[in-house]
Order: sequence, then structure tokens, then C-alpha cells
Amino acid sequence: MSGPIGKPTPYIDGVQKVTGKAMYTDDYRFPNMLYVGLLRSPHAHAHIKHIDTSAAETYPGVAAVTVGTDLPISFGILPISSDENAMAVEKVRYVGEIVAAVAAETMEAAQKGAEKIIVEYDPVRAFIDPGDSLEVCDPAEQIHSHTKGGKNIHKTAELRFNEPEKALEQSPFKRTESFKFAGVTHAFTEPHSTIAIWNGDETLTVISATQVPHYLHRNLSKVLELPMHRVQVKKPALGGGFGGKSDPFAHEMITAYLSMITKRPVKCTFSREEVFINNHGRHPTTIDMSVGCDQDGIITALDTDTIIDGGAYGSFGVVTSYYNGVLLQGPYKIDKLGFRTRRAYTNKSQCGAMRGHGAVNPRYAMEVILDMLAHDAGIDPCDLREKNFLEENTVTVGQLRITSNGVRDCLQAVREKSDWDKLYGKQPYGRGLGIGCGFYISGSALPIIWNRYPQTVVHAKLDFDGRIVMFSGASDIGQGSDTMLAQIASEELGVPMNYVQLEVADTKTTPVDLGSYSSRVTFMVGNAAKMAAEKLRNEMAKAIAKEKDVSADDIVFRDNKIFTEDGAVDISWEDGVETALAGRGAIVESGYYFSPKMGGDFKGSGAGLSPAYSFGAFISDVTVNPSTGSVKVEKIWAAHDCGKALNPLAVEGQIEGSIHMGLGQAVSEDMRYVNGQIVNANFFDYRIPYSVDTPDMDVTIIESNDSEGPYGAKEAGEGPIHPVLPSIGNAIYDAVGIRMMELPITPDKVLAKIQEKG
Amino acid sequence: MEKVQLNVNGFPQVVLVGSHETILETLRNRLNLTGTKQCCDEGTCGSCTVLMDGKPVLGCLTPTVRCVGKEIVTIEGVSSGDNLHPVQKQLVQNGGMQCGFCTPGVVMTAIPYLKENPDPSIDDIKEGLSGNLCRCTGYKKIIEAVKNAAEELNG
Amino acid sequence: MGHYFRPTTIKEALSLASDWPGNYKYFGGGTDLQIYRKQKLLNNEAIIDLSELDDTCSIKADENSMKLGAFVTLDEITTSSDIQTHFPLLAEAAASVATPVIRKTATMGGNLLVNNRCTLYNQSKEWRDAVGSCLREVGNICLVTGGKDKCFSRNVSDTAPALIALNAVVIIHSQDGKKEIPLQDIYARDGIKFHDHLDEDAIVSEIRVPTKPASWWFKKLRLRKTLDFTSLTVAATVDSAGIARVCLNGVSMSPVLIEESLKKLTVETVIKKARKNCKTVDNDLMPLKYRREMINVYLNEWWKSK
Repeated sequence: MSGPIGKPTPYIDGVQKVTGKAMYTDDYRFPNMLYVGLLRSPHAHAHIKHIDTSAAETYPGVAAVTVGTDLPISFGILPISSDENAMAVEKVRYVGEIVAAVAAETMEAAQKGAEKIIVEYDPVRAFIDPGDSLEVCDPAEQIHSHTKGGKNIHKTAELRFNEPEKALEQSPFKRTESFKFAGVTHAFTEPHSTIAIWNGDETLTVISATQVPHYLHRNLSKVLELPMHRVQVKKPALGGGFGGKSDPFAHEMITAYLSMITKRPVKCTFSREEVFINNHGRHPTTIDMSVGCDQDGIITALDTDTIIDGGAYGSFGVVTSYYNGVLLQGPYKIDKLGFRTRRAYTNKSQCGAMRGHGAVNPRYAMEVILDMLAHDAGIDPCDLREKNFLEENTVTVGQLRITSNGVRDCLQAVREKSDWDKLYGKQPYGRGLGIGCGFYISGSALPIIWNRYPQTVVHAKLDFDGRIVMFSGASDIGQGSDTMLAQIASEELGVPMNYVQLEVADTKTTPVDLGSYSSRVTFMVGNAAKMAAEKLRNEMAKAIAKEKDVSADDIVFRDNKIFTEDGAVDISWEDGVETALAGRGAIVESGYYFSPKMGGDFKGSGAGLSPAYSFGAFISDVTVNPSTGSVKVEKIWAAHDCGKALNPLAVEGQIEGSIHMGLGQAVSEDMRYVNGQIVNANFFDYRIPYSVDTPDMDVTIIESNDSEGPYGAKEAGEGPIHPVLPSIGNAIYDAVGIRMMELPITPDKVLAKIQEKG
Repeated sequence: MEKVQLNVNGFPQVVLVGSHETILETLRNRLNLTGTKQCCDEGTCGSCTVLMDGKPVLGCLTPTVRCVGKEIVTIEGVSSGDNLHPVQKQLVQNGGMQCGFCTPGVVMTAIPYLKENPDPSIDDIKEGLSGNLCRCTGYKKIIEAVKNAAEELNG
Repeated sequence: MGHYFRPTTIKEALSLASDWPGNYKYFGGGTDLQIYRKQKLLNNEAIIDLSELDDTCSIKADENSMKLGAFVTLDEITTSSDIQTHFPLLAEAAASVATPVIRKTATMGGNLLVNNRCTLYNQSKEWRDAVGSCLREVGNICLVTGGKDKCFSRNVSDTAPALIALNAVVIIHSQDGKKEIPLQDIYARDGIKFHDHLDEDAIVSEIRVPTKPASWWFKKLRLRKTLDFTSLTVAATVDSAGIARVCLNGVSMSPVLIEESLKKLTVETVIKKARKNCKTVDNDLMPLKYRREMINVYLNEWWKSK
């Protein structure tokens, strides 16, 4: 690469961000803007008998009041579980669900106005424990009428390949273990925020803190009954997502509706507590998992039964249900595999997608059991893993197509760097090392809504000013996708990065991208951007070749120049632009990305399909204080195969950020509830690690150069979280000989286990 | 409501403010200085850190009236972009920010920190920034950036 | 509508207080009380900001004694070389509070008078309304204990146990005059009325520590190394006469002091007294059983260290 690809590249919006100039949604102000006040349910599960809005309507400053029946059309990220309403209709299903809303001249008037709305409720039995949701209940108590068999089970996902239970019976070594995982949440720093503007031409503009402008666009159109061509969604600078801004949200529908009826700009920004209430985080999960291996440590079979606590609505839950099982097909070769996941509806705020979606908790279970089996069989845990790794260019039992695979290099790197062979099992009581591996999809091969369009389209525009503008619907949520777009254009056209500018994440001006979820952007948008830039280059080369009478294939774009090696052409970029645009003006080229056809033909075969998979291996070094049970993670060695690091600075950042987030789930974070009400909806009590709580990190980037990824690249944003948690859990075992089967691993649990062991 | 004279980024101006409102609300909603971010609004994240007579304070906990007679400096007062403070420059170059939402608060904490602690160790910086919540970076690159900035400042 | 006052003398502050009977709140740094205001746990119209009172911001510490103005910030305490040298127990306790930037605003006096906390009380108005208001607010029962007619909210000051262990006294001003009382006497074993010997308008202006201890010990139980309120704080001193003062906080409605000659103490008796005097209930994120166990662990650690 002669350009910026593969070189550590500071973010193109970095200066904007360090100077406070970057504009996030709440930073926008519009003339005559109204503010939204929301009234939320105090009940976990109740019928709405009556709503009296009269006092709110006459409250000074209130411009409009709306209730659930005004927007009766349901929505949701997945068409198959479109079970949410903008505001509760007939029934509330969790404490904090939005029941009514006002738009008012000031934030204070909006809040006070909303408080004037009187709602009469008729509470019914609330389902807090997902176990209760699995039982048949009184139909009047059912959370949603559409669930089957009189139970509150949202989805049962089940696949079985080659009778794993039989193989388990015959396995010389077998472990059947139960695991419990608390729910965790994204806790991005920028609270949800939305501004809706009803324009004079009867179109709607929504500026929102969203990872998925496209799906918001679709759902706004559906709920508001506005044709798609009259809705525009824009994502400005966004303060973190991690999956928590990847659903269309009720407050976005409400804000848009209030703008439509008042014909004024309307803004809604959440408090931190409301962000926690909105949740959509990782599902609280219980897993019963059995894994067997033979005398040589070769895995014979895996069978798992999982219950995930979905909360009151669907969100990504159907996908989560499948991911909890299908993403156990790597990084190890397992030919006999079965799983069942039941997603329970409960009367709590809904869970959805969070970094490492659906695979983080089962990964913990799997890696801990592998560690146990290694000890049972008397094999080093790293060796056991190595024996079982999937090969590259292979297909798993559930027809996941594995292409590039650098997992062996990952394991070797961390094993050497951590001095594993010298230290594992040999350190003094209280100090230990642990290994965890993982893999993850590099973009879901299937779109959420079936269609015949590409996954993404990128336009590259060149005009007389010599500037290249890349138009992409991709949402930079802090992961650096904007920088990647600029890097690719710069690389392909041989111009400095500051010749490239972007128009992004605007459903009016940019071609559709499905969104920043499932780690799809680098792979898919990267490929589309590369194609667009290549086409633009080819178009320029064609014109220059014609004028200079050389072969277009011989023309090189590099170092801000356009030339042939023989010197027949040697012109500046600007002159090249002039030549290319002569007689035609601006050039716009379009690149796109389609996922290849793949997968089996059984029901559920689409889940987990991806054009490529990332791999990783992490080793944690921990100290456990046996008298207090406190765990200190001293250091984590992380090796991640991202195919090719387009921007090593960003890849390292993703891995380090994953370590931090994984550490939080492993040792301190949990969503706590009292009667279904979140009790720790603040940063005092939802305990995210701070600078002083994070370990030393040693990051190794492994490049397996994927044959289909742009320049060989695969994902780096989610895969690196998976190995973090089990590497910590397994290190605790090495330190003090206890198996932590419940997350977060807080000191009380560690101390209890140490005492139990005696 | 009270009419108060505030000195923000070296510019004195008279503003009508709520008697109990915070300087964070005043900056964002009355002065349109939106670089100072509201993240938790209860003192737990450091995103709204501004300087009051050179000392870092949390905008969300500081009553605006208390700022009368003091010099307030916000992220907008540090640099307009041409002459980045070494902390800002290093954050950009080192990848010490991803989503950027906590970044103004990190800058406004690190600058006075380095004034008081011109030669900090990595552990010292971790301690100095232990009130700043970053959910993206895992802190490593932030800490390294501040360390580099210290070295740059020490010439 | 609200009012915000910034008196510069204690006299002026007391006079303002008398102008707003029952409808004002003093602010030190205000770092804790601002959250109470946002959560509508404090609804007073007037805020009397004491952070700029004259003669309340000085530190004097030497090998014999220590005198602290109440509005010295916690940061000034932790960074004072005199305190670090002569009373490191207090420096360490102050450094364990909140975060570095909060400590630049939070005051010594404010931390001594920090409001008691409870998981089911320190919540937003909407949250409290939904869960059913508790005894401390307008309800009839304690929600944590499921019916008891007593409030067990926790005192969470980290500097209070340190200064109690250091045998500190506080100087208090009110309309009735000025008085000096032992620090531990300002705390009451009541989760609702958690202060004693403090008139409504009382202003703590100064903290005095008469002597330097022969040895000291401090530990705070928390999950993270920053920000967290305490789950258990233990501060202990032994003076030259062999009298131990062990003070526990975060595990009861008030700091719990055990004062006894080392000659008469065993670690078992210290633990027994501590466990008996701490009314610890399940009102913290760390489980009750664990916090109780950690009382033993910490007291054992202290015992071994001395």
C-alpha cells in the first residue's frame, strides 16, 4: 500500500472532537424549537384504564400532548417481532415504559406538563423472573397475546446436528455445567437524543443518535404513515453505541410525531437514568452446557440449553436467540452440536444487541468448560484449544463458511508473550493466568429485511475542484468508519487524505447502508468504497489514457500525481482532474457490496452467516486476594485476527475498548432490579471500570488477509470482547482453584467459593 | 432568575440565569457553548469539566451563581483548532478518543492536571483521570496521550 | 423560583438562615447535595453557599495537632504535605472519597456532614414514586427491611471515621452561639435524623485534632478504586497510652466507634463489639453477608498490622 491503508491514521474528525466542535444531536438548536416531556409507567405490568390529558393540555407552555392511541402502528428492528408502540397502548409492560408525551416551549414546562397527565392503571401479575415466563399462565396475565401455548416465551431457537447427546454419553471426558450471567448495558456516554423537524415542503427531517439511520427511516415511515421519500434521517456525531443505538426507538417516533402535529422543531434528550431504563443491553442469561472430549482432548460434542431474559419487547431477540447457539461453531471444530435457546418475555425494559451480540455469554461458558476438560484430561488448556481449532477455508457443521483464520497465530502470540508455558499452573497461590479464545461474524450476510439490494452502496464524486466526496450511509459511531472511507479513497486515488471529504449517514443524500451493527461496516462498506474509488480512478485513467495515448492500465495514481512508469504521463492530480472531467463535468461512481450466497437450507440456517469471521486469543493475568475475594486483573495479552488492519490505531482502540467493556461485565457491571425496576441506573452504582480499574494491555494484531475483505480486512469491533471474560474466569481458577460460574465475578462470590472449597 | 455577569473564555457577558441552575446548563442552553457535554449530570463522568479560575470543576454540580467573579474556561476557550494544546494534539495522534463525547472533559481535566503534576507517571495519570468515564478506548491511549503531552510540555 | 446566597461571614450566613426558616440548605462544595436537588430529595428555595466563608479554608498541621477549616477542600487535605507528614490517615481517607475533580470542590465539612444513603432512597422522584415511597421520605415503612418502622440508611463519610479515630472535635456555630463537641457526638443512630447536637442552622466551621496518634490504619471497601461510595470504611489509631480508637462507617446509620485500651482488647472483642454496634442491613450494592464478613476481615487485618 502506498497510501494510508495499513498505517496508523488519526481520526479525520479528531480535531473536531478534541476542540468541542463536533456536533452531537443534543448540540443542535433550531429556532422555535419545542422540548419533549415523557410520562413513564410506574407499573411493571398493568392495563391502562384511562388517560386524562386535560391538565397537561392547558399547562402553560405546552404545545401538544400525545398518547399511545395516536400512534397505534407497531414497530421494531426485526419485522418478525414488531411488537413495540411509540407509547403504551392498552397496557404497560415495564416500569419506565413511555405512556404519554408533551411538547412544550421549555424543558421545564415539558417535564411539568407531562406530570399533569393522569393515568389510571389496573395492575396485573408482573413477570420478573424469566423462569416464571416459561410456565403456562392465565391468558389475562400474558405479556403479549401473540406468544404460544399460554406462556410468555418470545422465541425458541433450536438446532441439532448429528445427535450430540449420544456422543456426549460416550465421551471419556464430559462436563455439564450451569452458568448465570447478569444483564449488562452499553452505557455509552452520549445519552439518546433526537430532533425532528417538520419542513415546509411536508417532509420530515429527523436528526438522531442512531447506529441505524436506515432502519429508523423505515420504521418512522411505517409508524407515522409517511412515505419513505418524505422522511430523512441524519446521524450527526455520535457518542458511542455498542449496539445500544441500533434499534428504532419509541422516543424517536414520539419526537417526530410531535413535530408533525406542531409543525415545529422538537427535541428529546434522555437523562442518564432514562438511558438505563431504555436499556436494550445484553440479556440476563442462564446456560446449561455440556461439552465432551476424548482422551486426546478432541471435542466430541456440545449441547446447550439457554434461557435469555428478553424483557418486555422483541428488539433483536430472535437473532440473539440463534446467536447464543450458532456462534458456538467456532473457533473449534465441533461436528456434533445442539442448542436450544428460549427467550422469555418479562416485565422489564427490553434487552437487545450489545457488542459481541448473543455470543459473549455462551463463549464464557464454553471456554470455562474447555478449561475444565483440559484439566480433566491432563492437557494444557492452550494445547487443548490448538488441537481443536477450525482450519481455514472450511465449513462448520451448521454450514458457516470459514475463510481466513488466524486463530493459531493469535494463540501462539499471547502464549509466548505471557510466558504461559513457564507460568501456567506454577505461580504462587493467588496469582494466575487464564486463556480464552473467540470468533465473531464480520457482518451478517443476511439483511434484517429481505430485499434484492446490496448490503451497502457508496458513491464517489469528483468535481473540478479536485476534491473527492465519498457518499455513504455508514454510521461512524466512534469506531472510525468515516476515517476508513477517507483512507480508502486516498489509497485508491493517490491523493492526500485531506482531498477526501465525506457526506455520511443521511438517508436523503447518501445511498443506503444498513447500519453499524453486526461488525459489518469495515468489510461491507470498505469493499463498496474501494469499488467506488477504483471505478472513479478507472474512469479518470480512461480519459487520461485517451488524451495521452497510453494504456489506461499503465497509469498510476500515487503521491498526488498521475503518471506512467515510462514517464509518458506525469501530471499533477489537478491536471488529471481537468482532463478527466473535460467535456463531461463531475464524475460520480458507485460501488456496492453483496454478500456471497452461502449457508444451509434448514430453518435457522441464516443465523450466524457471515462473509468472514474474525478470531482471537487472549490471556489474562490476575491476582486474587483470598481473604477479601477481590480480583485484580493485572494484565491482558490480546491477539486478534482482523484480516488486515486498515487503520492499526483504530484496531488497537477497538481491542483495548473491548478489553475494558469485557472486564466490566466480568467483574463489576450488572443491571440490578427491585421488583423489575432498575435500581442502579447511574454510574455510581452501575460500576463501569475507570482508568484506575483497567489492567495493562498488550495488543497484537494478527493479519490473515481475508480473500474477500477490503485489502484483506475483517472486523475488529466486537470479536475482541469474547475472549476477555473467560480468560479472566480461567485465570481465577489458576490463581485460587475455583470456577466462577456466575457473572459478574464480584468479591463476595469469589470469597464464598474460596470458603466453600476450604 | 438572576442577572449575572459571567466571564467565559475571557469574554464578560451578562446572562439571565435560574438561581439554582448549573454552569453546565448555562453554558449549553444560554451561551450555546455546546462543547461541554452532558453525560451523567450527577458528577460521575467528568464530561462537563470546565475550569473555574484555573481549577477543574464539574459543570453539572457547579451552580452558575458561584461562577460570578470567576474566570470560566470551557473547551472552546482552549483552542479553536489552529493551535491545539499538546493534550489535544496527542489525543488526536494517539487515537485517545473514539466517539469523542468524553473528550472535552478529558482535555479539561488533563490540562490543569499537568499544570499541577508536570512529570507524572502512567499510574499518576490514571489516578488523575480517574473521574473521567470513557466507554470506548479502555483508557490506554488516553493515558499515553497525556503522558506524551507532559513530555511535550516539558520540552 | 429559587435563591442563591454567597455569604462571606458566619454571621451573615446565620442571618440568612434565619430569613429562610425551614426553607434553605447550606452548601459546602455542594457536590453531593446537588444530586439530592436533581432527584427532588431537597426542595428548599434557598441555597446558602458557605464555600467562601472567611477564615474557614486554612490547614494547620504539625507533629502535635491539626486544625482544619471546614471549607478546606478534600483535595487540599490529600495534597497538603503537612497532613501527609503528620496525619496521613486523614490524607488517605480524603483521597478515597469520590474522584479527583470532585475532591477539588467537595469540602472537609461537607464530607463530615454527607447525607446518609440507601439504595432505595437515593433515586429519582419517578423511581421512588414507582417503588412506593419509603419511611425516610413520606412512606410508612422501610422498604429495605420490608416493614420495619426504623430507617437504617448508611452514613457514608470516609473522613468521619478517620477523624473520629483521631479524636477530633468540631467547632459549631449557630444563633445560640459557638460550641465545641467531639466529632462522634454529631452523629445519631437514626437513618432519618442522622445528626445530633446540631441546631438546624448549625455551621461546622473548624475541625481540631488534639494529638498525633502513635499508629494508624485505614481501609475502604469498594469495588472500584474510584468514585464508589464506601461499603465499609475502617479507620483506627492507637495513641501513645495504648488506647485504640477503631471507627467503622458505611455499615450503620452513624460511624461506630470502639475505644478501649489495647491491654483490655482482643481481636475477638473488637469484632464482637463492632458487629453488635453496627446495624447493617441490605441497603448497599455489596451483599449484606459479605459486608458483615468484611468487618471481621478488616478488623483482623488492623489487629495484625498494629
